[in-house]
Amino acid sequence: MAMTATHTHAPAAFPSALIVIAAEVLGAALLWGLLEANSTPVVLALLGVMGAGFALMQIRPQIEDIIVGAFRAARGVALWVGILIVLTYPILLGANTYAMHLVIVALLYSVLALALNFQLGSANIPNFATGATYGIGAYTSALLAIHFGLSMWATLPAAALVATAFGFLLGIPSMRTRDSYLALVTIAFGIVIHQMLNNLSWTGGPNGLVGIPAPSLFGHSFMQPIQFAGIRLPPQANFYYLALALLGLAILSAKRLHESRIGLAWNAIRADELAARSQGINVAWYKILAFAVDAFLAAFAGTIYAFYVSYISPDNFTFLVSVTIMTMVIVGGMDNTFGVIVGAFLLTLLPEKLRIFSDYRLLFVSVVVILFLILRPKGLFPQRQRHYGAHK
Amino acid sequence: MTQPLLSLRGLGIRFGGLVAVDDVDFDLPPSHITCIIGPNGAGKSTLFNLITGIYKPGSGRVLLDGQDITGLPPHQIAAKGVARTFQSSRLFEDLSILDNVMIGMHSRTKTSVLSALLTPRRARRELDACAEEASAILRSLSEELYMRRYEPAGILPQADRRRLEIARALALHPRLILLDEPSSGMDDRDTADLMNDIRRVMRENPGLSFLIIEHDMRLVAELPDDVIVIDYGKKIAQGQFADVRLLPRVQQAYLGQKAVEHA
Ligand SMILES: Nc1ncnc2c1ncn2[C@@H]1O[C@H](COP(=O)(O)OP(=O)(O)O)[C@@H](O)[C@H]1O
Ligand SMILES: [Mg+2]
Repeated sequence: MAMTATHTHAPAAFPSALIVIAAEVLGAALLWGLLEANSTPVVLALLGVMGAGFALMQIRPQIEDIIVGAFRAARGVALWVGILIVLTYPILLGANTYAMHLVIVALLYSVLALALNFQLGSANIPNFATGATYGIGAYTSALLAIHFGLSMWATLPAAALVATAFGFLLGIPSMRTRDSYLALVTIAFGIVIHQMLNNLSWTGGPNGLVGIPAPSLFGHSFMQPIQFAGIRLPPQANFYYLALALLGLAILSAKRLHESRIGLAWNAIRADELAARSQGINVAWYKILAFAVDAFLAAFAGTIYAFYVSYISPDNFTFLVSVTIMTMVIVGGMDNTFGVIVGAFLLTLLPEKLRIFSDYRLLFVSVVVILFLILRPKGLFPQRQRHYGAHK
Repeated sequence: MTQPLLSLRGLGIRFGGLVAVDDVDFDLPPSHITCIIGPNGAGKSTLFNLITGIYKPGSGRVLLDGQDITGLPPHQIAAKGVARTFQSSRLFEDLSILDNVMIGMHSRTKTSVLSALLTPRRARRELDACAEEASAILRSLSEELYMRRYEPAGILPQADRRRLEIARALALHPRLILLDEPSSGMDDRDTADLMNDIRRVMRENPGLSFLIIEHDMRLVAELPDDVIVIDYGKKIAQGQFADVRLLPRVQQAYLGQKAVEHA
C-alpha cells in the first residue's frame, strides 16, 4: 500500500514554505486578474487557466497531495503570508472601486457559504433558506439602526440573536420530517420571509429600507477614506476590512467546530443517520444546532451588508440568493473551508464578469459551474480527513 | 441471584399483518455471552432494533439493569451503554477509520457548540484524547486497521468492516454489545480471531455482556454461554447449543417439517 502524501513530511520546511508562498501569490494574482479583466476573452482565458489547473490536479492527485502536504507542514508561513496578502489587497486594487465592491460582496458571500456549509457540507442537511436568515439579520439591524439609533456594533449581536431564534424555529421540523420534506420546509420558510418583507409596512414593503447610517469606529467614520503611512484607500476599504474580519471569525468558527466532537457528529449524520443515532448522537438536536449556527453567521453577514450599501430591499434576499449560496458550497467543496470560499468568490465574480452575455449570463455561469463539477466531481477542493496530535 | 443486565418481558412488534417478534421473554446476566440463532426472517435483527430503540415495541418491556428503557430514542439507549453492529455493516464510509471509532465516543464526551467556539483548546484536547484511545482500540483489534487509520472506512474489505464496527462499539464503553452476524464475510481464520477478540474484551471489561446473532455454527458451538432460538418471531428454545440443537422443534425450524419426517 503506497503511503499517502499526507503522511510523508516534506524533507525540509524550506520547500514547503516556498510551495505555500507560490500558491498563495498565484491565487491572489489570479483573483486580481479576474477582478481587473475588462474584456471577456481575458476572463475566459483566466477561467481556462483555472480549469487546466484543476484538471491537472484531478489527473495527477500527487500534485494536490504535495500542495496540501506543504500547507500542513508550513502552517505558520501559510497563515502569515495569507494575512499579509489579504491586508494589503486593497492597495493592489487601488482606486478600482468596482473591483473593491465585488471583493466585499464576495467576502460576505463567503461568510454565508461557510454558514450554510455547517448544514449542507458537514451534515448534508439541505437548507434553502440561508438567504432568508441573511435577510432577517439585515432587516433587524437596519430597523434597529433607523428607528432606535443603535450603532452597527450594537445591532450585530441583536441581529444574530433574532436570526438564531428563527434558525431554531426552522430547525424544529427536522425533528419530525425526513430530509426531502425538510428541504421543502426551508423553501417555504424562505418564501414566507420574502413575502413578509415585501408586504409588511414596517419593513418598507418592496421599497425596502433606506438611509441606514454609516458606522464608525473610534471616531473614524466608515464614509472616510483610510489614510495610513502615506497610503490612501477609498472609503470602501473600511467595509473590506470589516467583511474580512467577519470572514476571519467565520473561518475560525468553522475550524473550531470541525475540530470538535460537534463536527464529527455532523459528519456522522451526513454519512449515516441511523448509525449516528446508534452511537448516541441526538440527530434531531444536532440538526437544529446546524440551523442555529447557520443563522447566527448569516445574520452577521446581513448586518454588514445592510450598513455597507445603506439600502436593503426584499430583492436582496430571494430564493435565488439561497440557491446561489448552495451552489457555492457544492462547487467549492463540501466541508472544506477554503473550497467553500473559493466557490463563493467564483460565483460572485462570474455573473459580473460575464455581463457581456447579458440575458444568457446565468446560463453561461451554469455551464462554467457544470464544467468545473465535471473536472472536479467532489468540488474544487474536496474535504480532507482530520488528523490528530502529532500527525495533524 | 444477581440482577440481569438485560431483560425482555413479553416483547413484540408487528408490521401490518406480520408478527415479526412475538412475546419474547429473555434475561441476560452480566459477563455473559448469548447467541441468537434461527432461520432467515425469523425476527432476530428486529429484536435488536427493538432493544436499541430503532423500533418502538408494540408490546412488552425492555429493562437494562432493572431500569425500564422501553421506547427511549436510540441515542439515549446508546448513552446508557448499549452498543451494536448492523447485519449489513453501517460505517461512516467517507470518514477515516479513526473518526469512525471516535464517533463511538460521542456520548462519553462533553464539548458543546459554545464550548467548542469559546474554549477551543479544551475541545481539541478532548478530541486528541479520543483519538489516542481510538488508536489503542484499533490496535488491540488489528494492527492493520491501526496503520490505515487515516484512510476512509469505505475502502475496507468485508472482514475489516466488521472489525471496525466492533471497534466503534467498544468506543462507547458499553455494558452490552449486540452483534448482528459478525462473522458474515469472514473466513475461518477471521472468525477464530473474532472469537478471541470477544473473549479478550470480556476479560478486560468485567460485567460486559454480548448478545450475538450468528449463523456460523462453529462459533455458536464454541463461544457462547448459552443459545436462544427464534422462529417466526417466537423464542422456541434456550440452553446449551449441544442440547438445543437436538430438540425436534429446533431441527424443524431449521430444516422444515419435511426434512424431519424424512430423517
Ligand atoms: N421495517 C420493517 N417493515 C416491515 N417488515 C419488516 C421490517 N423489518 C423487518 N421486517 C420483517 O420482519 C421479519 C423479520 O426480519 P428480520 O428481523 O430482519 O429477520 P432475521 O431473523 O433474518 O434477522 C421479516 O419477515 C422481515 O421482512
Ligand atoms: Mg437479520
